[in-house]
Amino acid sequence: MERSAVQGERSIGFARAGSFLLMPLGILLAGLGVLCLKGYAIGAAGKVLEPAVLPYLLVCLAEALILQFLLWRKKYDFILLPLVLMLCSVGLVEIARLKPELMVPQLRWLCVAQAVLLILLRFWKQIREMLSYPYLLGLTCVVVLGLPMLFGTEIGGSRNWLVFGPFSLQPSEFGKILILFFLAAYLSDHRHVLSLPSMRLGPLCLPPMRFIAPLVCIWGAAVLMFVVERDLGSALLFFGMAVLMTYMATGSKTYVFLALLFISLAAGVSYLAFGHVRVRFDIWLNPWQDPNGMAYQVVQSLFSFGTGGVWGTGFGFGRPDFIPEVHTDFIYAAIGEEWGLIGSLSVLLCYVLLALRGISIALQCEEDRELMLAAGCSMLLLLQAFVIIAGVTKFMPLTGITLPFVSYGGSSLVSGFMELGLLLALSQGTQERGTSRG
Amino acid sequence: MADWKLKRNMLRAMALLLLLCGILALNVIYISVFKAEEVSENPLNQRTAALQREIVRGKIVTADGQVLAETATDGVRTYPWGEAAASVTGYKGENIGGAGLEAHRNLELMGMSKDFSRLGPISQLLQADKGNDLVTTIDSRAQEAAYEALSGSRGAAVVLDAKTGAILAMVSTPAYDPNVVEADWQSLKEAEESPLLNRAVQGLYPPGSTIKPLTAAAALGEGVTDEKELFKCTGRLELEDGSSIGEYQDEVHGQVHLEEALAESCNVTFGSLGLRLGSKRLGKYFEDFGFSQEIGGEILMASSHLPKFDTLGQGDLAQTAIGQASLLVTPLHMALMASALANGGTAMRPYLVQKVISPKGITLENNRPEKWRNCLDTRLATVIDGYMEQVVQHGTGTVAAVKGIRVTGKTGTAENASGADHAWFIGSAQLPDRTIAFAIIVENGGSGGRAAAPIARQIIESMAR
Repeated sequence: MERSAVQGERSIGFARAGSFLLMPLGILLAGLGVLCLKGYAIGAAGKVLEPAVLPYLLVCLAEALILQFLLWRKKYDFILLPLVLMLCSVGLVEIARLKPELMVPQLRWLCVAQAVLLILLRFWKQIREMLSYPYLLGLTCVVVLGLPMLFGTEIGGSRNWLVFGPFSLQPSEFGKILILFFLAAYLSDHRHVLSLPSMRLGPLCLPPMRFIAPLVCIWGAAVLMFVVERDLGSALLFFGMAVLMTYMATGSKTYVFLALLFISLAAGVSYLAFGHVRVRFDIWLNPWQDPNGMAYQVVQSLFSFGTGGVWGTGFGFGRPDFIPEVHTDFIYAAIGEEWGLIGSLSVLLCYVLLALRGISIALQCEEDRELMLAAGCSMLLLLQAFVIIAGVTKFMPLTGITLPFVSYGGSSLVSGFMELGLLLALSQGTQERGTSRG
Repeated sequence: MADWKLKRNMLRAMALLLLLCGILALNVIYISVFKAEEVSENPLNQRTAALQREIVRGKIVTADGQVLAETATDGVRTYPWGEAAASVTGYKGENIGGAGLEAHRNLELMGMSKDFSRLGPISQLLQADKGNDLVTTIDSRAQEAAYEALSGSRGAAVVLDAKTGAILAMVSTPAYDPNVVEADWQSLKEAEESPLLNRAVQGLYPPGSTIKPLTAAAALGEGVTDEKELFKCTGRLELEDGSSIGEYQDEVHGQVHLEEALAESCNVTFGSLGLRLGSKRLGKYFEDFGFSQEIGGEILMASSHLPKFDTLGQGDLAQTAIGQASLLVTPLHMALMASALANGGTAMRPYLVQKVISPKGITLENNRPEKWRNCLDTRLATVIDGYMEQVVQHGTGTVAAVKGIRVTGKTGTAENASGADHAWFIGSAQLPDRTIAFAIIVENGGSGGRAAAPIARQIIESMAR
């Protein structure tokens, strides 16, 4: 009955769908404009924006326009892409301001990411088949995550990089997506078994061991990553996703309890056993003990937020360059300093909107596993943003992960667009019903 | 369609995430609004220092246009007056903190104003690359004369405009040279004579006999004596607790009126007046003259140390009335007392900065005289002022007399724990265009009439020229 109502109305015009792109475009043009004017004023306009940037910029814009047109034409959700591009614009503008020499690589990665998104949408039918092979997915995932343990290179304190000539990849960024697939497939297949209590352990009801085993493996892999590769952020993400999705599938608080018990045990043991974990934790508890040493980054980041205040110092007028690695993990501090509370909360709001939109897509999915996948993608993005923002604002111990779509980094950008692609693919067709309800 | 349970669980999980994000947002708000000031003012925050390096600091000039501090084109800050104006300009260094106008008017000198610094992008419109100039109230003649007279000894001098409260001179010796303070920091910090201390506003000394005008005012105001009473000075005042107060160099003043007692600085008379007043009424006058008050901001005057008037014994009461016992005052407090007596009982709030002028010549701040407190009623102030004129004409302060100018004063020779007596002179002078009040102390200088009064004369003469 809803369908007939929509048929009469005829789909929304492309002018309106395309107009959503004006938001990210506006941020990009305004930001780059300010930088050019500022560079011109000090007589170094060429330095601020290399001519080599232009072709990449044009390709990115063209890709975005084509993508948005396709999304509209094929009845995908067309709010998600502009939201993500908005975050990308914020990131590009900040990178142009903080590390102009990284502008070209970042744009190049954006081109690649948008192309990957296009491919993912085109071949979604084939990719979806992957959901039927949960164990294969799990195995691949473990292999991908294990690669850096064997062939990894240490960059920035974490041994989670694979270097192929001029490219370096972070397998954990892609392992994230595999794990989403695995969890969605495995949990939706076994959710009824998993929620059947068969063993009683005091107040806890446990399902048969062989059904929990794969989950325990994933938790174990996360902890292993944490210890061997020193990649605290990804470990936390993996673990968080595993817990959230297990809860979604089973509705059983026993798993949540078990997981929390497990992680606190693991955290306690690694605090006692590993120096780098202890350091991380101690500087979180009191960064002022060693403000010029281990806690330098966090302290500088707090100075950024303090200096920025509500309105910020103004784009291009702050000194976020005092923070090491400000263009990757700490880009949120730069936003807080120069754009103030207004800017930092707006960025956070973008992630929340993105996740809410993703959840609304999940609600309209036909199959359990698709619902799980869509919900997982939305939550993963939000959780990742949460973990890094909490880290740079000293809300949680700092973990080195990127702010999705905003931070500099190719692997992060491409994997972010893959998650976006999954959400978009799952939204196809639901758009009609969605708009008629909204 | 998917299972409703799945959907319910998903929404619950999402709600948890949203809750976490909400708490995170509150945390971001907390650190960028409520903690912002505290965090950004942390000395480890290099941003302020970085900003300072980019901005050409404004000049500090005297009221008559002499430069006290300026920044050359190469960014080096110079202080043409060096030690002579150190207590006015102060210093500011990245690793040594700051003092004086350089520290307390830092924002203005950098071209910022507190109201604008958090306005975000708008503040960039208001931010100049050149700081504002400070026009001080300092009179270069008085400052120079005071420094010349004090250099070589330890001491302090403050000169105020009694009608406005403008600080015309402020000197503390031994001084430091602000040009090299950062290089000499370690030795300055450890120096026994503490050159970094601004004695004029932070030094605490027993006032000795310079407090007697206050005792006289209290005695007349409370009616424990009148102008006609004759006091008999035998050279020593025996007290109930067995102690006694003697006269300076064992003089005997014989039969004296209150006016003569002040002119001769008779300890016996003022000690017994203190006993008659009692600690409560004497304490009230210290309160009225503002001795328990501090002054903040660019002047940063410490509060004086008053004895506990509730539990004061006979001996300490008499000693307090002649400026001894545990009473300790700052030179600026004494100058404020002198200014109140010369200004009909009203002390004006002291100020050091007359104007703040932007690089484009706009006056951003223009300070007007403001009343600090009513210390004494006008009639009484006029009487005491007249007595103090006698001190300079016929009494212990004749050295301060300047021909053709009405000078009032009171000498002080304060006993102290550190050795020879501190020499004090406080008072006022009616110059053709203004009335000035001053307080001068020479640490361990001996007799106030011989060591401090000449400095007052030099200052008055410098300004009368």
